Amino acid sequence: MPDARLMDQAFQRIMRSLVDTGRAPHYAELGRAFDLGAEGGRGLLRDVMQAYPIGWLHPETDYIASFPPLNNLPTQYRITVRGEQRWFAQCGFEATSATWLFPGETVRVDAPCLDCAEPVMVEMRDGRITRVDPPSVVGHLAFGFGPSRGRPHYL
Amino acid sequence: MNLFRSEEHARRWSQFEPRSEQGFISLTDLADFFGTESRRHMLDADYLSSWYPHRAAERRAFLEQIGKNSPFWMGTPDPPTS
Repeated sequence: MPDARLMDQAFQRIMRSLVDTGRAPHYAELGRAFDLGAEGGRGLLRDVMQAYPIGWLHPETDYIASFPPLNNLPTQYRITVRGEQRWFAQCGFEATSATWLFPGETVRVDAPCLDCAEPVMVEMRDGRITRVDPPSVVGHLAFGFGPSRGRPHYL
Repeated sequence: MNLFRSEEHARRWSQFEPRSEQGFISLTDLADFFGTESRRHMLDADYLSSWYPHRAAERRAFLEQIGKNSPFWMGTPDPPTS
């Protein structure tokens, strides 16, 4: 059983790296941060991802693809804070949660509409929606939650 | 889980499935759904051990509160059809 305190620390290391730089660390960097070596870092990363299954590694690799609400792999949900577009959200729903990673800041989400490719824009600050364009923007759950739906629920 | 310019845009999406007609959620409900208490602690040192475990129950409670308690939203198995 992995040590809970170490797991918490590793989780924060990954999340803080994403928030600070827009990128998740490699497992070898994680291992070095905790004096575990590269292989120890790989094991720690796998333990964290198992404990946080709403994120995932890229298939057949130990690269972090998704660590919601942010994504290490670019998606159409671009996030801008302080005028810098460094971040991507896992999906349109998680995009509305990114605000909690940047307290006191205006967080802007820009995405193309999957129907017409025209822009969708949502601005939030400390969980509150401050601007939406167009005002008719709506969320849509395409395949339903749960593994029984047979399609990736994040699409 | 996407954002569209409007419901009509979502219905015109090439991957729209008729069943997902029940999959619409207003932006304000969405912000509340993804802004439950545990979400506000993602930067806390003990988030993974202390806050993340509350997430599933919070989600269920919020979905029930806004009337989205179908298997499609709750992630529960569909009832038998026969």
